[in-house]
Amino acid sequence: MTLHTDMQVNRIDDYLWEIPPTEKRGMLVPARIYASPAILGSMDRGVFDQVTNVACLPGIHRYALCMPDGHWGYGFPIGGVAAFDPEDGIISPGGVGYDINCGMRLIRTDLSLAEVRPKLELLMTELFRRVPAGVGSRGFVTVNRREFRDVMRKGAAWCIAQGYGWEEDLDRIEERGCLGGADPGQVTDYAIERGINQLGTLGSGNHYLEVQVVSDRNIFDREAASAMGLRGRDQIVVMVHCGSRGFGHQVASDYLKVFEKAMRLYGISVQDQQLACAPFRSPEGQDYFGAMNCAANTAFANRQVITHQIREAFAAVFESTPHALGMHLIYDVAHNIAKVERYENGEWLVHRKGATRAFGPGSPALPDCYRAIGQPVICGGSMETGSYLLVGTDRAMQDTFGSTMHGSGRTMSRAQAKRTVRGEQLLRDMKQHGILVKAVSMSGLAEEAGLAYKNISEVVNTVDGAGITKKVAELKPIGNIKG
Amino acid sequence: MPGTFRFLDDIAVADMAFEAEGDSLQALFDAATQALIQSLADPASVAQTWRQTVDVEEPDIETLLFEWLNRLVYLKDAQAVVFHHATLTVQAGPDRSTWRLHAELVGAPVDPSTQELRSDVKGVTKHLYAVDHDATGWKARVVLDV
Repeated sequence: MTLHTDMQVNRIDDYLWEIPPTEKRGMLVPARIYASPAILGSMDRGVFDQVTNVACLPGIHRYALCMPDGHWGYGFPIGGVAAFDPEDGIISPGGVGYDINCGMRLIRTDLSLAEVRPKLELLMTELFRRVPAGVGSRGFVTVNRREFRDVMRKGAAWCIAQGYGWEEDLDRIEERGCLGGADPGQVTDYAIERGINQLGTLGSGNHYLEVQVVSDRNIFDREAASAMGLRGRDQIVVMVHCGSRGFGHQVASDYLKVFEKAMRLYGISVQDQQLACAPFRSPEGQDYFGAMNCAANTAFANRQVITHQIREAFAAVFESTPHALGMHLIYDVAHNIAKVERYENGEWLVHRKGATRAFGPGSPALPDCYRAIGQPVICGGSMETGSYLLVGTDRAMQDTFGSTMHGSGRTMSRAQAKRTVRGEQLLRDMKQHGILVKAVSMSGLAEEAGLAYKNISEVVNTVDGAGITKKVAELKPIGNIKG
Repeated sequence: MPGTFRFLDDIAVADMAFEAEGDSLQALFDAATQALIQSLADPASVAQTWRQTVDVEEPDIETLLFEWLNRLVYLKDAQAVVFHHATLTVQAGPDRSTWRLHAELVGAPVDPSTQELRSDVKGVTKHLYAVDHDATGWKARVVLDV
C-alpha cells in the first residue's frame, strides 16, 4: 500500500493505524488514524503532517486522532480529535475550525415519500424561500445588539422563548443547545456586525438543507431507529448542515491574531501558524473560550431558527401543523467545537474539528430517550449519494474521547470539480435521479458534486467496523437546498 | 502593467486559493482584490449602487494585504453587499514604519435575482499565506476559507 507520507505508519488493526512519536521531533503522544486500507491510501499528505503536528501540542493526552473522513485542514486536519489537560494544556482555534459549531441537525416527519413526491417542487420552493442561502443572505429574525448578546448566552433556548421551536427540542440538542461560559464581552464589534443579520441562514460551501427518505432496507438497527422515531416505510426526514456563519469565522480570525502574540508570551512554538494556541487557563485562552462559546450558541440558535422555518414550510405545503406532521427533532450535534468533558479517567478539553461527539449508552449527557441506545450521530454525505445516522458506543468513550467521523470528506478540489461538471447539467442529472435541487449559485453547486467526495458508505463502514459508532440508518436525498 | 491572478487547484481541497502577481505593489494589491471580488460574484453582474471608502494601516505589507482582504469579507457580511470594483492606493507611511491602503469600493446589495453569486467566502487564512518580492515584481499566495 502506497501512502502519501514518508512517515512510519503501523497497523493496529483492520481500521486503526498509528504513527509513533519517534516520527517527528516534538511529538508528545502517538498519532492515530481510523481508516480502512483503501481510505488510508487515499488520504492526502496533509492528514499525516497535521495529525502529527497536533501530537506536538502542549498538554495533549493519549493520542492525536484523525477520523476516516480526514483530509487537510487549517491547523488540525479535518476529522481531527485531541484532548488536552484543562490545567496545563492549550486551547487552539485551529482545533475547532473557523466555522465554530458547524453541525448537523435531523428532523423526522410522519410523511412518506408517496405523500411528499407529488408536492416536492412546491416544498423545495417554499423551503428555499424561507431558509436564505448563499452570499450575503440575511435571516428573517432581526435582533438588536442586546438581543444578539442574549442569543450568544442562551443559544437554542433563546429561540424557544421567542416561539421558534418546541421545549422538547432542547433535550435533543448536544448540551441542550447552550454551552456555559459564553462571554459576549470577549466578542469584537466586527464579529457582531458580521453575524447579527445572519440568524436563520444556511451559508454556502458544503452547507445544505436536505429532504431525505428512510426506506426499510436502509435501517440497520431497528431498536435504535425506533427510539429516534424512525419506522422506515419510505419515511421523510430533513437534514440541516450549517454553523455560526460569519460570526464564528470572525471570532476565530480575531483570536488567531491574539494567540500569535500569546504564544510568544508563553513561550509556545507550533509547527504551523494555523495551530496558534494559548494555555487554556491563561487570560487569552479563557477569553477565546468565552467568545467561542458565544459563537457555538449562536450556531445552535441558527439551526433552531432554520428548524422553525422548515416546520412552517412543511405545514404550509401540506396544509397541516408541524405537530400533526410529527416533526420532532431527532438530534443536533456539533462537529467543530472544543468542550470540557468528563470521562472515567478525568476531565479533558476535547477539540473536535470535523469530528462528531459520539457518547455511548448510559452517558448522563444523553436525554432519557437515548440513554439506552447511545447518542445519535448525524453524518452528511454528498448531495448525490446520501447520509447516515449512527449511534455512539462504549468503545468511543474508551478510545476516541467519545468521538467519531462527521461526513464523507472531499477528495477533489473545488476548481477541479467545476472543470469536471457544470452546475446546470448536474441539476438536470440529479433531477433525473429523483433529487430536486434549489441552488443560489450554479458554480457553487458544481463544487459540491458527489464525485468530489469520498464514498460515504466506505467511511461509515470504517467507524462501524472500528466500533466507535454503529450504523442505524442510511438516508437518501430527494431534495436539496444549497447556497 | 496591470497585475494578474489565477486560482490554484490543489492547495486547499475543501476551499479556494489564488496566486496574484504584479510588477508593482499597487498591481499586486489590485490583482489580489480582483481575485477576491470575483470569488464572491461575477462583477459584470453587480450594479454600482453602493460605495464605501476604506482605510487600512498596518506595520507591514503582508499584514496590510491580509487585513484588507479580510475587510472585504467583513463588509460582504456586515452590509450584505458584493463588489463591482475597487480603486486602491497603497503607499508607505512616514519613515516606512507602516503601510497604508486607501480604497474606494463600489458594488451593490446582494440580489440573487440579478447577480451571478459565487462562493460565500468566510475569511482569508494564514495557511501558506505569502507575499514575496523579487526583481520581476510582487507575488502573493492566498487561501480563502469557504
